[in-house]
Amino acid sequence: MSAPTSAPPISAPVAPTPAAGRRRPPLAKRLAPYGYLAPVAALMLVLMILPIAVVIRYSVFDNVIISPTSVLVGLKNYVTIFADPLFRTATRNTAVFTGVSVLAHLLLGLGFAMLLNSTLLGRRTKTVFRTIFVMPWLLTVAIIAILWRLLLDPNGVVNYGLQSVGLIDGPVAWLSELNLALPAVTLINIWAGYPFFMVSLLAGLQGISSDLYEAAAVDGASWWRRFVHVTLPSLRPIIISMALLDVIWTSQQFPLIWMTTGGGPLDRTEMLSTYTYKLAFSEYQFAQASAGAVIMLVVALVLAVFYVRQQRARD
Amino acid sequence: MRAQSGASRLVMVAGTVAALSVVAACGGGEGSPIGNAAGNDNTTAADGSVVLEFSQWWEPELPKGALRGIMDDFEKANPGVKVKLISAPYASTQQQTVAGAASKTLADIVGLDGAWVSDFAKQKAIADLSTLIKDSGYDDSQLASQIKVGGQTYMIPVVNFVYPMFSNDELLSKAGVNAPPATRTEFLEAAKKVTATGNGAYGWVLPLAQDAPNGIQNDVMSWAWASGGSMLKDGKPDVTNAAVTGVVTFVKQLWDAKAIAPGALTMKEQDKVEQFTNGRVGMMIDSLAHINLIRENNPKLKFSISAIPSEDGYTGKRGMPYASWGIGVSDTSPHKAEAFKLVQYLMSKDVNSKLSSVANAFPGNTKSVPDFVKSDAMFKTAFDIWNKGVPANEFTGLPTAEDLMRSFDVQLQETLANNQPIQTSLANVQADWSSKF
Amino acid sequence: MTNPTLTPAGSSRPPTPEAHTAPATETTPMRTVESRVPAAPGRRMSARTKRLLLRTGAFIGLFLGACFAGLPILWMVSSSFKDNSEIFAWPPKLITENFSLAAYTSVFSDPVKLRFFANSYIVAISVTVLTLFVAILAAYAFSRYQFRGKAAVNVVIVGIQAVPPITLLIPYFGLIVALRLYNSYQGLILTYMVFTLPYAIVMMTGYFNTLPRELDEAARVDGTSSFGALWRILVPISLPGIVSVAVYTFMIAWNEYLFALTLTRTDNMRTVPIGIQLLMGQHSYEWSEMMAMSVLGSIPVLVLFVFFQKFFIGGMTAGAVKS
Repeated sequence: MSAPTSAPPISAPVAPTPAAGRRRPPLAKRLAPYGYLAPVAALMLVLMILPIAVVIRYSVFDNVIISPTSVLVGLKNYVTIFADPLFRTATRNTAVFTGVSVLAHLLLGLGFAMLLNSTLLGRRTKTVFRTIFVMPWLLTVAIIAILWRLLLDPNGVVNYGLQSVGLIDGPVAWLSELNLALPAVTLINIWAGYPFFMVSLLAGLQGISSDLYEAAAVDGASWWRRFVHVTLPSLRPIIISMALLDVIWTSQQFPLIWMTTGGGPLDRTEMLSTYTYKLAFSEYQFAQASAGAVIMLVVALVLAVFYVRQQRARD
Repeated sequence: MRAQSGASRLVMVAGTVAALSVVAACGGGEGSPIGNAAGNDNTTAADGSVVLEFSQWWEPELPKGALRGIMDDFEKANPGVKVKLISAPYASTQQQTVAGAASKTLADIVGLDGAWVSDFAKQKAIADLSTLIKDSGYDDSQLASQIKVGGQTYMIPVVNFVYPMFSNDELLSKAGVNAPPATRTEFLEAAKKVTATGNGAYGWVLPLAQDAPNGIQNDVMSWAWASGGSMLKDGKPDVTNAAVTGVVTFVKQLWDAKAIAPGALTMKEQDKVEQFTNGRVGMMIDSLAHINLIRENNPKLKFSISAIPSEDGYTGKRGMPYASWGIGVSDTSPHKAEAFKLVQYLMSKDVNSKLSSVANAFPGNTKSVPDFVKSDAMFKTAFDIWNKGVPANEFTGLPTAEDLMRSFDVQLQETLANNQPIQTSLANVQADWSSKF
Repeated sequence: MTNPTLTPAGSSRPPTPEAHTAPATETTPMRTVESRVPAAPGRRMSARTKRLLLRTGAFIGLFLGACFAGLPILWMVSSSFKDNSEIFAWPPKLITENFSLAAYTSVFSDPVKLRFFANSYIVAISVTVLTLFVAILAAYAFSRYQFRGKAAVNVVIVGIQAVPPITLLIPYFGLIVALRLYNSYQGLILTYMVFTLPYAIVMMTGYFNTLPRELDEAARVDGTSSFGALWRILVPISLPGIVSVAVYTFMIAWNEYLFALTLTRTDNMRTVPIGIQLLMGQHSYEWSEMMAMSVLGSIPVLVLFVFFQKFFIGGMTAGAVKS
């Protein structure tokens, strides 16, 4: 269906010359990686770089979209954004939300993956629990939001449960209590996101060669030492990649926040994403919203550089 | 070596950003890839008839097939014109309309909320209806209202959802209140008494969620309008006046008396109705459209509707808050004349009666009378309240109206939850609003 | 993390065929380890008790985890059988008097909703297949080649995802309209590929990196082309990774809402998340029907996942044996 972008490169890599053995790699071999990358490059260039370029362009203009005439204003929008105290609050909230979510995703995902990979359990048990553990992942974010609003409602089942075991005295409005709202949305996000770590780490665990464990066992290594010296280093590339991607995704999580708290109460769950949305679609300040987006892009590019450097170090 | 490679990474990032900017610069005028290609392939059907696209969120709100049926009748009455309904979820309509307008793919006829009109008009997304009215020789005297921006009409309210006060008869009588309160003092007393009955019952319910801040319009500012107050003066914001201060003080009293159901700060209109339907709150300000929903979901609930209580001693005309399903015509539509025919059709006496009947709303045509007014006592009461009062919704037609509500919302939350002095909150709102006008 | 003495798994020693053929398909590495450790008679008891304790611990962990993961889902399923009026009933009940399948029959009897499901399948499956193909090619280049611009391309692929989609909405919409992909499957499929490819590439590169180069280089010496080595050697071994990437890709395409709504305009192109959102009205929600649609949307994916699970267990072994 998307033949135009993926068709040509297929043929390119199929025909690398068999001339191996020379000192300098032949031209075909040097070109091969570009052939392999061509489909991605074409798709990304047209469908991602181009719109991003437009966003960058918006960010240095005034009154974009809403007015037919817009003027180049340079960095004015960036100055406005940085001067906005709400932007700083949003940044702080996003950092907390993202940091805690990613850490919890990793810990829960790794913990569950290890449990499900352990030899202590039978095959059927594992299958059942693997299926249960992966379930939160199957829901669209609108449903996740609505379901948790239902659960955490002052008259919802969570309050009922906690009240019947006596943990709380009266109903608690988890999502609109000033000090509980951010932890509550973070919890929802943790719930929604850990299966994804779990599945990837489970696959990674399967890939660890048993020789390594055998060697460690022969050396009399304890469980903890095996975990630290065999499991973690083997999973390291996966963990780093996933953590980086999760940081990027979580920091721009929009629908979940929007549909549970809308950034409230007050500014307690205001994130960069909801802040940007309000700028764009409520204040119609598309230029400022674009500036906010560009700032997020730059931060992510810096993160990406660390990631690539880490990849390099491994090579 | 290491330091050097670190530096080179940074250079690379800078390079990437620079490259992107170059692409941006070369990317041509804003929206250049957008331009003329607009999805106008569908404007004529195979048989040569004109196809009008009508985007709205009404179809999923109405009984199945109701809106389509009205369109079929329109097609029968206007051979050569076909209508294609494009329905979207309400919560995304505004954002989709902005995007559609920016890329010139807006449907010919668009459903509008009064809060968006000013911005769409400025964006030149919707057409000036005054011209269309004049060109078609339409008699607009039968229209209940027209929403104007800069003196020109941009939206016509098709049906109106009125927001009176609902009260739970059982809860009120259990609390020793025999009639729905008519003044703010009575309301406060009643709310406190209902809350005091315990069992998780509360006097009032107030939705203040920021993603849908229309609680400010429907549940807060409505109190001011009901007593003849205003938040504007000569078209400019005036929220520090006595009327608005009085309302916020009143809401704060209810809050401090813990007479408002918990969760208010992130509550939405839909939750509000659930609370009332389940018999947990004594009173709420809500759309008449919900009468049937409440009856359906809780047939045992006994409730009544009355006018929103006024300030003690107020005897003037009561402002009746309402929200509309409005309609406008896309500025880029090649078939404006046909589009306006559909608008006229929807506003005509009988069709408007029919539409208001299925929507449980009040008609936008002054001559229309929806069926339920004749058949249902409760709607009859409401219709009388509506006819006795004056329609009031000062947010309609204001610039960035939704954002105005949101900034009021945030400051109100500061006052309620953080004890920020009312004067400070309102002064903040005033400053913020003034910058938007 | 900073221990330089221990190299990641595969890169130091290639897995030998014996190591992988030895355990039966369902035995996992750690069991092999323990069974091969010679246990002194005196220590056997304590080892058994220890194992019992560990087992109990594991079950407690599993149980708590299952509660955390499963209870909200259970509540969703239970809500889908309730009447709209019972959703907020107090005290909350798992099964109510008005237990009914009405929500489900209403979904099944609505051709428009069924069409939403069909569309979701068409889009999600196409996206998954195409993403995997394109990502595997790209990951191969990243994992096995050194070339000019590698780092820069990598940075861009990882970094550009950070632009919040909501701000991209308007320029992106214009682009899709200009490309004449508006309101078409192709438009949605290509869009989702843009979202799923970065992750797929990063993860596939990661998986390929854990596989020793000797593996495909050996094949190259035998005269296989690089393309052949990729598909015949690397891809089969990486099946667990590929399956997890596939599941992820499918989920993203299945659950995406914002672009699905913006880039389509007619019901015959729309997907399940829009169908669900259409039930969230201006004034009220169709709770049970929303939940029912969500349950119905999840079941096929869950079945698929259960089916593919065996790849997580046996994939690695099966792949290595072939080589």
